[in-house]
Amino acid sequence: MTAVTTRPGLAPRLTALTKIVELGPGRLDQKVLSEASALLTRAGERLKLSSEHTVVALAGGTGSGKSSLFNAISGLELSPTGVRRPTTARTHACVWGLEGAAPLLDWLQIQWRHRFARASALDKGESQLHGLILLDLPDHDSIRALTDTEADRLIGLADLVVWVLDPQKYADASTHRRYVTDLAGHDAMTVFALNQADKLSTEELAELVIDLNDLLRREGVEHPSVVPTSAVSGRGIDSLKSVISGAVSRRRAAIHKLEADLRRLERRLTETMPVGEALSAPASVDEARRLGLTDALCDAVGVPAVGEAMENVYAERSSRWVGWPYPRWLAKFRPDPLKSLRLDDVSDEIRGITTGSVSAQAAEVSNAVQALADGLTVGMHPVWRTAVHRAARSRSSQLPKVLTEDLTEVAPELDRVPGWWRILKIWQYFLVGAFVGGLAWLTVGLTVPGQLPASLQLLGDSAALPWVGLMMASVLGLGALSGIASRNFVVLGASRERERLEREMRRRVAAVSETMVVEPVERELGRHHAFYSAMRGLSG
Amino acid sequence: MNTAMDDGRPESPGEQTLSFRAFTDESAAPPEASAPDEETPVPASASEPSGEPSAELGASSSGDEPSDEPEAPSDERSLDEPEASSDERSFDEPEASSDEHSFEEAQAPSDESAASSDEQPSDEPEALSDEVDAPSGEQPSDEPEAPSDEEALGGAEASSDDEPAGDAEASSEEEPEAWAELAELAAPADDEGAGDEAAGDEPADDEPADDEPADDGLRLADDEPEGSADVRPEPSAWHFPDPQAEQDSDDAQAVHAESAEPAVPAEPAELVGAEQAAVERPPVRRVEPLPPEMVAALTAALDALRESVSDLRFGLDLPGAAEARQARADLLAQLKDYVLPRVRTNTAPALIVVAGSTGAGKSTLVNSLAEKNISRTGVRRPTTGIPVLVCHPDDRQWFTKGDLLGGMRRIDKPSPEDGIGSLVVVATEKLPQGVALLDTPDIDSVVEEHHEIAHRMLDAADLWIFVTTAARYADAPAWNLLRLAKERGARLAIVLSRVQPKAREVVLKHFVRMLTEYGLGEVDRFVIGETKVVDGRLPDHEMTDLRLWLAELSVDEDRRAQAVHETLNGVLDSFRTRVPALARHLEGQVAFRTELRADVEAAYMSALAEIDKATRNGMLVHGEVLARWQDFAGSGDLMRTIQFRKRGRSGRQAPERVTAFRSALRAGLESVIVAAAHRAAEEVVARWRHRSELGGTIGAGLERPSDELVRHATRAIAAWQEHVTELVRTEGVAKRSVSKFVSFDADSLSLIFMVAMFSGGTVEGVPHRLVNALLGAESLRGIGAKALSDLRARIGMLFDEESMRYVQALDSAGIPDESTATRLYQATYNLEVAR
Repeated sequence: MTAVTTRPGLAPRLTALTKIVELGPGRLDQKVLSEASALLTRAGERLKLSSEHTVVALAGGTGSGKSSLFNAISGLELSPTGVRRPTTARTHACVWGLEGAAPLLDWLQIQWRHRFARASALDKGESQLHGLILLDLPDHDSIRALTDTEADRLIGLADLVVWVLDPQKYADASTHRRYVTDLAGHDAMTVFALNQADKLSTEELAELVIDLNDLLRREGVEHPSVVPTSAVSGRGIDSLKSVISGAVSRRRAAIHKLEADLRRLERRLTETMPVGEALSAPASVDEARRLGLTDALCDAVGVPAVGEAMENVYAERSSRWVGWPYPRWLAKFRPDPLKSLRLDDVSDEIRGITTGSVSAQAAEVSNAVQALADGLTVGMHPVWRTAVHRAARSRSSQLPKVLTEDLTEVAPELDRVPGWWRILKIWQYFLVGAFVGGLAWLTVGLTVPGQLPASLQLLGDSAALPWVGLMMASVLGLGALSGIASRNFVVLGASRERERLEREMRRRVAAVSETMVVEPVERELGRHHAFYSAMRGLSG
Repeated sequence: MNTAMDDGRPESPGEQTLSFRAFTDESAAPPEASAPDEETPVPASASEPSGEPSAELGASSSGDEPSDEPEAPSDERSLDEPEASSDERSFDEPEASSDEHSFEEAQAPSDESAASSDEQPSDEPEALSDEVDAPSGEQPSDEPEAPSDEEALGGAEASSDDEPAGDAEASSEEEPEAWAELAELAAPADDEGAGDEAAGDEPADDEPADDEPADDGLRLADDEPEGSADVRPEPSAWHFPDPQAEQDSDDAQAVHAESAEPAVPAEPAELVGAEQAAVERPPVRRVEPLPPEMVAALTAALDALRESVSDLRFGLDLPGAAEARQARADLLAQLKDYVLPRVRTNTAPALIVVAGSTGAGKSTLVNSLAEKNISRTGVRRPTTGIPVLVCHPDDRQWFTKGDLLGGMRRIDKPSPEDGIGSLVVVATEKLPQGVALLDTPDIDSVVEEHHEIAHRMLDAADLWIFVTTAARYADAPAWNLLRLAKERGARLAIVLSRVQPKAREVVLKHFVRMLTEYGLGEVDRFVIGETKVVDGRLPDHEMTDLRLWLAELSVDEDRRAQAVHETLNGVLDSFRTRVPALARHLEGQVAFRTELRADVEAAYMSALAEIDKATRNGMLVHGEVLARWQDFAGSGDLMRTIQFRKRGRSGRQAPERVTAFRSALRAGLESVIVAAAHRAAEEVVARWRHRSELGGTIGAGLERPSDELVRHATRAIAAWQEHVTELVRTEGVAKRSVSKFVSFDADSLSLIFMVAMFSGGTVEGVPHRLVNALLGAESLRGIGAKALSDLRARIGMLFDEESMRYVQALDSAGIPDESTATRLYQATYNLEVAR
């Protein structure tokens, strides 16, 4: 029972199947999934049980002579035969070589009283049958079988199935449609015994065998092995025995059967979920898509607009601090239309608007997430597409809130007043003061020359007046110049600030999207990839 | 089937008694009378017919129950007499009776069985005695009790429960089987002895060992064929070809009549009156041809029905749609092929359709009856693919030219190139007039087209001959067909062929029991042994009964007409359920479609509501819109919107900022719409998928909004914004006091207005106060209402376009016509009225 060494190929495929069963729920059709897990269980159980035994089941319609054949092969009248239809209602088993067979029989759920053993001593010259467990199944096509799935169950469990057909029923839909068409790939595990051959003449038999072969080939059994038998005359029993003993002595029928079952399941799986191009679908969210998502989320938050707004608002507001004060004072004298609308306080409120923080727009956020999922799932199976979408949206209800909170921390305070603005304002006022001082000097110098106390003689010095005038002009010019210069500095600083801000915001948006969108999506994509890798692994 | 034998035990006596009744009811009444005379001493004679299969049928139903009530008087009787007498008799009779063949045969087994039945007095005293009484009238003492209480009870209850059990006991238990084999091995003489022994033992201990009764029954059954050849043909409903003794036609007739009589188990009243019934039976209700006016009415009603059925379309592939389509096709075919022609000319020859499993020997049977190799036979399965009709030359005209099976192309010879839809018509003088045989393809081979043809043929049949074999009689397809026959109320005859002589008894017994369980115990049955088929035909002696049956049908116009009429009635009856079933399915489709439509409506309604909410609760003033608004307000543009008139330079402000603000608003609104549309699309498909698999199929590829949605939405919102600007420009001039000296930029103001609108009606924010001050509350309300309704209308149109995709998908799947269902009900009603 060295599972891995003696069963190469089967183990990795079963591992792949395990993976599929693990990943399947919610993705795979429930029926296929349960079939797969049933096969997995069955394979596990069968491989655990005696590999020295080969379970051969005689299956067929009622009246085709399963029990007679069973008795003929075993050489004992073990299973009652009869003319009433259906005759056998319980499976009978005959074992060649008992040791280790009991758990297998338990697993097959054969009742104790229907178990028989051929002691090896009896079987001189039948040693090649050692290890055979022959099952005589109930029929699958009578009205009794409508409510009894025993035959179905054991046909599924047996390592080798001998279909017992007879000249009357060999083309019955109940056999072919339900079982044989399912058998493609099970050639090695299926033998067709054309029983009751004694009822036919030689020519008829030949014709019939040809017809049966054709029929089976049409149904996908590539190399049907048809053995004409007659339980009555004993004809063909030996060749059937040798076919069975061949399978029994190789001890590999169970593995072949499981492999064939795997192949069939694989076909069903690929029918419902073709591997196709699925593996070329992205297994992770690549850089471009992450960038795309971040961009879209930034748009949803309005990052560029926030930056722009900051720049504009700073430029506008700075002029009140660092700008040349004279035009501002002039503007105050202009009538305010708001005042005429009796909306004086609105201007404060408008200033209040700019204190509002950033926030994310929920609809745009959900569209951004949707777009990412759409892009990732192009060409995916609808089930997986839905799954990826669901994963992407798994936290999208909190996403706008989280984004808003996270970005508020870095949002610019639009009503912030930097210190140097204040200094510049003082400087501007100082210049204004200087200008006013100069003006006073000029006034004094021009109006009261010579009447000033000596200490103030200088003011009356007319020779100095042109210089004072020049100085005043310079002060005015300096004010204007420094206003322009510092405004330029503000703009420059704002644009630098904007860049920094946008970078920071993008970084934060990217971080949030990583944890809240990309991670769940990648989990699902990984699942998708693992599933299809397993599917490929299943095909071996 | 391995049930406990105890259950089975009461059965055997029951069977016997019943069988007796069955026997007596029917033809046998007069001979019966004489029988007891001969064997007067034994009251047990009453239980004569016992051993045979047919008997069981009836028996099983009534017999099992009484087991609980051993009745003293009957016990004794049965105890005493049978032992002694039955043995002897069973020895004697078979040999002695060569002339009164059928009769004697009946007797012989019956005696034996009598013995056996008596052996279990404890089980069945009551039933036994009753039955004994009923026909023979000899034991008045028991009579009062029997039919009234126990029997009634038993009849009602017992029938269904115990039968299978009994069945099992007899058939599949190993032990009895073994016993039987033993018995077979033993010489016939010993056999009898064994029987005696058993008989002797059992009465002694009231509760005999479990298996003994079963054994007995079995052994008896086995004995009969083995022990004495004469015993074989039995007075059952079975028609046995009897190679040894020529059965004269009278005999056959008699047997036949009896078989026709329904066995109706479980009816004590009938039991008693069985004799009477048998006597009264002959005056069969004469079936008059339908009066012309009724024919006209029926034809009209049927035509109407056909029309409304052919109008049916099941577009949606709901579960059951395939069946409904099939049912519709079947119904149409049957109306055209059979019902209409049959109603128009109800005197036409009867069409007997031979149907059954592949390899059952249908073609062989038809060939043998026609004494001509008209239908190919062989070992290949399936053999027959094209139906073959055989009739008397005089009837040929009717079948070649008539409307019956009008859709089938008539050909003279089967050839490979004639596909489905052809019908070979062959005339032969060997077949009696007035009946035609139709050999059909199988019902259960791998070639599934055959099943369809076979069913179509059966739909057109006046009588069905169902052929099965000893190897097949328990096959599920066969019983499905029988059930169909029963449902349709078709007249049925069953042929069990390929019966091996040694298996005959067991198989027949079992088969008949199964038939009875199925409620088909009373149909005509024929047995054909396993014989060498020579040249595709069976030996003549096997065919005698069937020939007679056919001849009888041919000669006896009444019987034929009755059979034809019954089948026709059965078919018309079946319309009562089949047509409304179709109508119901159609209604289901209509309802389903309505539901799907409602799903679409609901999803898009909720999407609209969602958008409505988003435009009111300030959700739109987030993200970029908010940033742009801050920009707009903070950069002083907001202030510059309003200017004094005559300032000369009407403050044209930075246009790019207004444009950006405008497009931000548009993008925000658009994203809300797109998100809602996404949700709606997913919702529709999810709902559809949830409803049924079909919903998922129809909705495939529709789980996303259409590609044009974004483009259309952009266009719609841009147009709306234009519209709002226009509204502000044209209608926003209200406040005279303001407009005299203040002017505003309509573009900007409309944006402020939108922000005011989207940030919610309750918030007394800046935008609100601004527009309010500028435009005045009244005109603001007017503009607000107009803008909102316009927005809704535009989004509504967008969503209409979207939901049209679903409607189209639904339509392309097929639109059921709702009125057709009503018309169907009407047509069914009219048909009933016409009948």
